[in-house]
Amino acid sequence: MSGAARLPQAFAELEPFVDSWGSHTTAGRLAARCERSMDEIRVFYEAMCARAEEAIGYVDRFGLDDLPDDARNLMALVLGLAQAHVAIEIHGQPRAPGTPWPNSIRIARGLPFLG
Amino acid sequence: MNITASARAFEGKTAFTEACGLGTGPVPLEPYRSPEFFERERVQVFERAWLLVGREEEIPAYGDYFSTELLPGGVSAILNRGKDGRIRAFYNTCSHRGSQVLDGPTGNARRIVCPYHNWTYAADGDLISIPDEASFFAVDKKRCGLTQMATETWEGWIFVNLQRQPEVDLRTFLGDFADRLAGVPYVAADKPIVLKADLDANWKVVQDAFIESYHIPAIHKKTIAQTFSSSENRFARLLDARTFGPHRTVSMYGNPTMPLDERNKVEMLAYASGDTGSLIAAGTSSQMAEFLDHPAVNPTRAGCWSMDVNNLFPNTQIDFGPGGFWVHQFWPLTPTTSRYEVRFYVPDALNARQRLQQELYVARVIEVVLEDLANVARTQRGINSSGKDEMQLQDSEVGIRHSVEQLLKWVEAETVTEALA
Repeated sequence: MSGAARLPQAFAELEPFVDSWGSHTTAGRLAARCERSMDEIRVFYEAMCARAEEAIGYVDRFGLDDLPDDARNLMALVLGLAQAHVAIEIHGQPRAPGTPWPNSIRIARGLPFLG
Repeated sequence: MNITASARAFEGKTAFTEACGLGTGPVPLEPYRSPEFFERERVQVFERAWLLVGREEEIPAYGDYFSTELLPGGVSAILNRGKDGRIRAFYNTCSHRGSQVLDGPTGNARRIVCPYHNWTYAADGDLISIPDEASFFAVDKKRCGLTQMATETWEGWIFVNLQRQPEVDLRTFLGDFADRLAGVPYVAADKPIVLKADLDANWKVVQDAFIESYHIPAIHKKTIAQTFSSSENRFARLLDARTFGPHRTVSMYGNPTMPLDERNKVEMLAYASGDTGSLIAAGTSSQMAEFLDHPAVNPTRAGCWSMDVNNLFPNTQIDFGPGGFWVHQFWPLTPTTSRYEVRFYVPDALNARQRLQQELYVARVIEVVLEDLANVARTQRGINSSGKDEMQLQDSEVGIRHSVEQLLKWVEAETVTEALA
């Protein structure tokens, strides 16, 4: 990790999650969840949920098309919560019971922004 | 909405199978495992039926193209828009030595240049130039354009047909189904989100899983069971089922309300604006009202409705739900493997919360597909063992019964007209 801040100053305590959960693609964030333990997922979930409402407010001060790099990184972390949601709020384990990882599902065309 | 009335509807027995004019006996499993049947299906069905490949909005401008692989034959096709605004389909094959002329799934090419020796074609397929033409032997360039594939559009959907001269046009192939679905507004159709997966199951095993809701309370207990079943309708019985020649539609039950669980912080975060449920609307509320008003959308006007499956023969399902439409396709690879593709359509997110809702939607769709992926492989292994030669189908599985009946008919029929009779 480089020393330069990659998130807006007010969200500095989330910096440790940028490498693990801040991928700019849905596939990257999906892999982040599938390759982590429930304990690791929970640490991110708790820390990010605590700041998520503020993060959404911060990002919405700009247009999604026009985000500065640090706000874009912050938005990627907000989207990481969708994957943490799957583990914590649906399955109660990192991946769906009885399903393989890696698997043959691929995102051939993702959402246009950070997808 | 009257929940009591719909509760009563599920106390007795439904009778869709008989209403559709289908038998009620066991259905053969051989078409799900036999290499011989697979081969006949390739020739008689996939090389004669009109196959859906995309939407017009995906190639709005001159030179825009997408390529697609038509399985099971593995035929690579290019769909593009010409200078004249017309959509054409071509075999992705150079007239020189047969190389594929375009790589990549999408793009813009007003000139199509084969990467092997730079033979160059116009967007309408005409051959424009041959490098070092003088060293060839009087090539007739007029006869060396890209080979066209039959293509037609209907309601914005683009279809191709692998018969050089299709026996029937697209409208005849769609028959009454085209009338039923005429005028459905497809909003935000220009940018599909596309997921693909290669599965260890015959394509019909996979398609069958998406046209019945009987399996949902069992397989998708945690992901979507609560959306499709309730104490009023414990086994997710269908609301409606109809057939239209080789095509079919089923309408599925659903819970009108999905209470949010306050312990689920991300769910609350995404839907804190007061919306309940897990829906993403594909358009503005007036666009959605127009969509939901269409008589083919929630055709029984049920308060407890989750979705309709519109199964275009042989391998496409255009689904309607409260938030819009999406498309599943099931392509044969081998007798016991297939390629599954789902495309869903969402508008550009306007703000961070909307974008999070979309991400939740995509994440959940992937989990549901994963559950089905494990299930279809298990089913195929069971079928392969030859322990059983037939399956028992109940009334809510009427779509599967109709699918097998139609495939057997097409495989036997000498002509498409006979298959459609």
